[in-house]
Amino acid sequence: MPRIRIGRVMASRLLLAVAVFGYFAITDDRFFTTNNVFTIFEGFAQLGLAALAIGLTIIAGELDLSVGSAAAVGGILAVTWAGFGLVPAVLLVTLVGAAYGALQGYLIHRLRIASIVFTLGTLIALRGIAFLISNEDTVVVPDFDIAKLVKQQIWIFSPFSLVTLAVLIATAILLRYSRWGREIYAIGGGRAEAVAAGVPLWRPLVLTFMLSGAMAGLTGALTSLKSGSAAPGGFADLLLPAATAALIGGVAITGGSGSVLGIAVGSLTLRFLISGLSLRAAPFYVLTLATGVLLLLVILLELLVDRPEARQRFRDWRARRGKEVARAEPV
Amino acid sequence: MREELAHPTVPSGAPAEIDLANVDLPERNWRIPVIVAVAVVAMVAVGWITTPRFVTVDNALIVIRSASIIGIVAIGLTFVTISGNFFSLSIGETASFSAIVFSFMISNDWGVAAAVVLTLSLAIALGMLQGAVVAAGANPIITTLGAGAALFGLAAVLTDNKTMRTGSDVADWIGQGRPFGIPNQTWAFVLLTVVASLVLVKTPFGRRLTLVGSNAATATSAGLRRGTIAIAAFAIASLGAGLAGMFTAAQVGQGITDQFPELNINAIAAVLVGGTAITGGDGSMVRTALGAVFIAGLDNLLVIRGYSYGVRVAIVGFAVLVGVSLFTVLRRKSV
Repeated sequence: MPRIRIGRVMASRLLLAVAVFGYFAITDDRFFTTNNVFTIFEGFAQLGLAALAIGLTIIAGELDLSVGSAAAVGGILAVTWAGFGLVPAVLLVTLVGAAYGALQGYLIHRLRIASIVFTLGTLIALRGIAFLISNEDTVVVPDFDIAKLVKQQIWIFSPFSLVTLAVLIATAILLRYSRWGREIYAIGGGRAEAVAAGVPLWRPLVLTFMLSGAMAGLTGALTSLKSGSAAPGGFADLLLPAATAALIGGVAITGGSGSVLGIAVGSLTLRFLISGLSLRAAPFYVLTLATGVLLLLVILLELLVDRPEARQRFRDWRARRGKEVARAEPV
Repeated sequence: MREELAHPTVPSGAPAEIDLANVDLPERNWRIPVIVAVAVVAMVAVGWITTPRFVTVDNALIVIRSASIIGIVAIGLTFVTISGNFFSLSIGETASFSAIVFSFMISNDWGVAAAVVLTLSLAIALGMLQGAVVAAGANPIITTLGAGAALFGLAAVLTDNKTMRTGSDVADWIGQGRPFGIPNQTWAFVLLTVVASLVLVKTPFGRRLTLVGSNAATATSAGLRRGTIAIAAFAIASLGAGLAGMFTAAQVGQGITDQFPELNINAIAAVLVGGTAITGGDGSMVRTALGAVFIAGLDNLLVIRGYSYGVRVAIVGFAVLVGVSLFTVLRRKSV
C-alpha cells in the first residue's frame, strides 16, 4: 500500500526534522532567534530548489548530475544580465535553464541513453561554458542595489526564500493534481507498466529535466544576485547537499516515490544541522563530513527500514551461505 | 538508472552450475574499439599537422605521464562499470586520503614498505566497505557521493585541513623514478592495463564480473553472487585510487585533502570515452587506457595551442557527450 508507506516515511522524516531542530534550540540559545531562523531560511532557499531539481529526477527514475554546473552558468548569466533589472534577469535565466533542461530530457529520451552518463557529460561541458562566458573570472553586478533587493529581510523571509516557497508549492500542486505530474511518478515506479498503460515516455522525461534545469538556473541566479557576484567554479559541491536533502526527505532512490513536502522537510533538516554546527564555529570541512555521514546514514536507514526487499536479500544471502557450507565445494 | 534491455546471455532456466569457460559473453560490437582507436589516432594526427611541438618525444612523455594517473584510476573504475554499478564518485577523495596517509607514515618513519602496504590495504578496505553497501542494494552513485564527502571531511579533520608533508626523501624514488627513461607511474599504468585485461578476459572472476554486469537477473539465477562481485569491483577501483594517491604523494612530497580535484571526472570520462557500456557487461581495459590517453592528449594539445581552461573543459565535456551518445546508439543497433 504505497499511501500508507509514504505516510510512515513522512512521519519519521518530520520527527527527525523536529528532533534536530529541538536539539539545537535547547542546547544553543542563539539557534531559535528571528535572525538565525532567517539565516536558516536563506540557506533553505538555495538548497530547497537544488534538492527539488535532483529529487524530481530521482522520482522519475533518473538522475540529473548536472545541476551544479547548470547553477553556475545560471549565476553568471543572471549577474551578466542584472542590468535588465532583477525580475527580467531571473526570469530570463529560468527560461534558459528550462530550455536547456527540456533539450537534455528530449535527447535522453530520443537516444534512450542512461541519464547519469548524459548528465555527466553536460556536467563537464556546462562547467567549461561557465568559464567561457565569464572570461574565466568572477563577474560582478553593475549595481549592488540588486543584491540588497534579493536579500532584504521580511521577518524571517527574504524575496529569495519566498520565491523558493512559491516554486515548491507550485511544483507540489503540479505533481499531485496534474496528469503530467502523476506521469513522472508512473515512469519512476514502473516504466514498462507506465508505457504499457499508454504514458508517452517523452512527456514526463522532458518535463522532469525541464523543471530540473529551470530550478538549477533559478537557484544559481538568485544565489549569485544575492551576493552580487558569480564565480565560474561555483556550485561545484551542490550535488552532495541537494541529494542528501532529497533522500532525507524520503525520496526513494529507486524512483517512483517521494513528495515535495518531503524534499522541503529534508532541506530544512539539513539546514538546521548546518546552522547548528556553524554557530559552534565548525569549519567548512566538518559540515561536509556531517553531510556525507548523514547521507550514508540515510542510505543505510533506507536499506534496513524502508525496503523489505533488502532484508529479504540479506536472508537469501544467509540461506545461500548455509547451503554452500553444507555442500562445501567452490562454485 | 533506466532499465535497458538485457543481453540474452544465458538461456533462462539454465542449470545452477554453469561452465564459466564456455558461456557465450554478449557479442562485442566491433565498431566501438575501431571508433576509440580512430579518435586517438585522429587526435594525434591533428596535433601533428597543426602543432609540431605536440608530437615530440619530450611532449609524448608528458602526455603519457599525465595519462598514467588518470589511467591507473580509470582501469580500476572500469571494473565497477563493467559489473553494472555505474561508477564511483569517491575515487578522487580516496586518492587524496591515501596520499595523506602515505605522507603521514613516511614522515613518521614507518618505512617505505610498510607505508605502501598499509596505504593500499586501507584503500582496498575503503572500497570494500562501499562495495558492501552497494551489494546490500544501495545506489552506487549516491553511496559513493556520501562516502567521498565523508572521506574528504575525515581527511580534513585528521589533518586540520593542512598539508601533510612526507618530510623525507626515502619515498622519492616511487614518485620520481624513471627506469629506462620512463616514469614509474607509466610502468604501473601499462602493467595494470595488461594485468587487468588478463583478469577480465582470462579468469573466472573476470567472466563472472562481465556476466553479472550484462545480465544481473540471469547471472543471479545461475548462482553468481552479485554482492561479492560488487565488493571486489569497488575494492579494485579503490586500490587504483590508492596507487594514484601514493604515487602523487611520493612525487610531490605531500598529501592534502583536495589534491585531486578533477580526478573523479577525468577518470570517469576516460572510462566513458573508452566505450565501456554504462549499463555494464561490456568494456575493455585497453580501450579505457586509450580513453585516458585521449583525455590527457587532448588537454595537452589544447594547452599547447593556447586555449583557455574553459574551452578545454567544454571540449572534454562535448567529447564525452558525443562518445556516450554514439556508443549507446551503436550498441543498440548491434543487438
